[in-house]
Amino acid sequence: MWKVFDMADKKTIKRKTDFKKGLDIFLFLLPAILLFVGILIAPIAVSLYRSLQKWNGFSPGTFIGFKNYKDLFTSGSINWMTSLKNALIIAFFSVFVQLPFSLLLALLLGRKYKGERFFLTVYFMPVLISTVVIGQLWLKIYNPDYGILNRALAALGLADWQHVWVGDPKTALGSVVVPTIWQYVGYHMLLMYAGVKGVSPDLREAAMLDGATNWQVDRYVVIPVIKPIIRTSVIFAVTGSLKTYDLVRIITNAGPTHKTEVPSTLLEDMLFLRNRYGMGSTISVMLIILCFAFALAITAAFKEKEY
Amino acid sequence: MKKRVISMVLAGVMALSLCACGGSAAEAPAPATEAPAAEEEAPAQEETEAEAPAAEEEAPAAEEASSEPITLNMWCIATESDSNRHSYEAAIADMQAAHPEVTLNWEAFENESYKTKIKAAVSADEMPDIFFTWSCAFLGDFVQAGKVYCLDDVYQNYKDELPVVMLGNSTYEGKHYGVPLTMNIVGLFANMDLLKEAGYDEIPGTYEDFIKCCDDLKAKGITPFGCAGKETWCVTEYLESIIEKSIGAEELNNVFVNGATWNNQGIAQAVDTFQEMIKKEYFDPAGIGLTNDEVKANFMAGKYAFYMNGTWNCADFAANEEFKDKVKVAEFPVIDSSKAKLGQLIGGPSDTLAVAASSPNAERAADYAMELGKLICHYGYLDGCGLPAWTPYGDTSSVNPLTQTVSEIVANADSMVLFGDTAMTADDAQVYLSYVDQVYGSAIDGAGFIEGLASDLR
Repeated sequence: MWKVFDMADKKTIKRKTDFKKGLDIFLFLLPAILLFVGILIAPIAVSLYRSLQKWNGFSPGTFIGFKNYKDLFTSGSINWMTSLKNALIIAFFSVFVQLPFSLLLALLLGRKYKGERFFLTVYFMPVLISTVVIGQLWLKIYNPDYGILNRALAALGLADWQHVWVGDPKTALGSVVVPTIWQYVGYHMLLMYAGVKGVSPDLREAAMLDGATNWQVDRYVVIPVIKPIIRTSVIFAVTGSLKTYDLVRIITNAGPTHKTEVPSTLLEDMLFLRNRYGMGSTISVMLIILCFAFALAITAAFKEKEY
Repeated sequence: MKKRVISMVLAGVMALSLCACGGSAAEAPAPATEAPAAEEEAPAQEETEAEAPAAEEEAPAAEEASSEPITLNMWCIATESDSNRHSYEAAIADMQAAHPEVTLNWEAFENESYKTKIKAAVSADEMPDIFFTWSCAFLGDFVQAGKVYCLDDVYQNYKDELPVVMLGNSTYEGKHYGVPLTMNIVGLFANMDLLKEAGYDEIPGTYEDFIKCCDDLKAKGITPFGCAGKETWCVTEYLESIIEKSIGAEELNNVFVNGATWNNQGIAQAVDTFQEMIKKEYFDPAGIGLTNDEVKANFMAGKYAFYMNGTWNCADFAANEEFKDKVKVAEFPVIDSSKAKLGQLIGGPSDTLAVAASSPNAERAADYAMELGKLICHYGYLDGCGLPAWTPYGDTSSVNPLTQTVSEIVANADSMVLFGDTAMTADDAQVYLSYVDQVYGSAIDGAGFIEGLASDLR
């Protein structure tokens, strides 16, 4: 009997302790949960709700089901497919041009060359400069009259290659892609550089003792070790490309003839210029879905190759 | 005095010639010299001219109610680089002297970003007490949502100075919601130094001569036109003028505001005419990637012979010592005289002040907006930023010659069609601008333009 009381008592005490622990955890987490729900979940829920409405932003909305989603893909006056294609092109160049270049710089700087800190700062500088400044800077470079690009081409005897870079439909998207990639090379380089620096010197030394060259060490030792960081960079590059906005707005204003339209500029136009808040919400929901889908796909792709 | 009477006549003619948002078709009122209604108004006006009317003197009852200190907030687009900046500053200084009990906090935003900002503010019910807006559909959306304070009551105090017809573009279901400022038309500005190089002392008056002039300019290595493709509204200044001078004002107005179909062969041909000019390289090819400020600077620097844009530019051109003697303004010549004629213009009163219905001091803000609007109009007219929507007062002899020429053009106006992107609803306007953009980029031709718009703007 005594033992029974003892067990029950212990259970009660444990339950009380567990409850107190749970309450403590809950209370500590509550501010973060409230912030998470208020800043992230609630707006997404409201966007989802509004995406099912025809709403001009001022008057009461009308429920129209999935018509906005249907119109997004079928209406000729909404350039969703063009904008998505452009975002994917930017993502492609980010992943296959920007990231390899960032990795190359990170690997080189990781070898403790002279002036490592200086180059690190120089490469990272574009990330620190305001995008507006960068946009204006590149606009000056592209200016058809006095821009350094056309002038350089003329000086090199390549006047035929001169273009109205941001106004020509054939070169407009390229003129956005180049500064976008250039601006964030330093960002990804820094992420990867941190990873490279985190690789144990023992591993390097062991490989070197086995006769590996610097490139072989990087290829077979460093890169496999920093693969999680590369995966993170790929996710950032792809989702960042899908959300590209500022440089496009400054350099081409999504023109000419929507050739550089991206989902975010389309979203802004729908919300604030066309007063189609319902359609704008639909685009934002699609963006969220796409970003999640790509993040999951990239994670899965990297997992397959991990042993 | 003569100029003041001319101004009065102009005001009357402008009023008669407006194709308002209400949907009335373009009419052909009598020319300025024959406008009896306007002239009848002149004596009444002269009484008000003697001294700048002040609301304080006119409304003693309101004075008592408005003696308590208040703070009003205002948003507008008169940024440092805007032609209207001085008129706002002068008007606000006058208002602060006349109404020390009212503290006005005002902020100016760049034109395009302002469209986004004000819509977001309306949506979030965070509007300033007084805000700048464009009339017709732009303001109409806010009015329809019940966000704008009705000015019918306060207008009674100003009806002698502000002709009711000037309120047409900001009147919805018979109620007035906007304080019009200056009004403008699209003008064909010419750098006469460059025209002289090609052998022309005047801007050609017929379309045939005009095209020949463009060819002659090209032969001399001078680019005839500059047009900012990065801001599509600048392209509409050209395209709408060409369409109007091809199919006539009434037909264009019917398409813009009366629901007539876009499937109009005349419009398609006009678009093809515009594209023919692009193909002939009359336009600076670099323009498609430039902003309006850049194109305007190029024009003032002598890179282009012609620049078609709003007559609010008169102020900047006239203020530039080096450039002011080189520039002249005219209206675009008639392309098809069987349908269109000189005096059919693109423009009208669009710049407007409105009062937020949510303002805690809406009644006093309305009165303040009226007085401020009148002063902005006054100084804007003196500065050459546009023609007055309000009846002019005081000495207007200092108005620059360019604006005076515009006044004469408007005095001889037959009818006006409001800027397309202002006349249409926000959604339609963006679709329309998208097609205009494609026309300038030669992505579609005239047939594609009308078919696309007929399909997308049902």
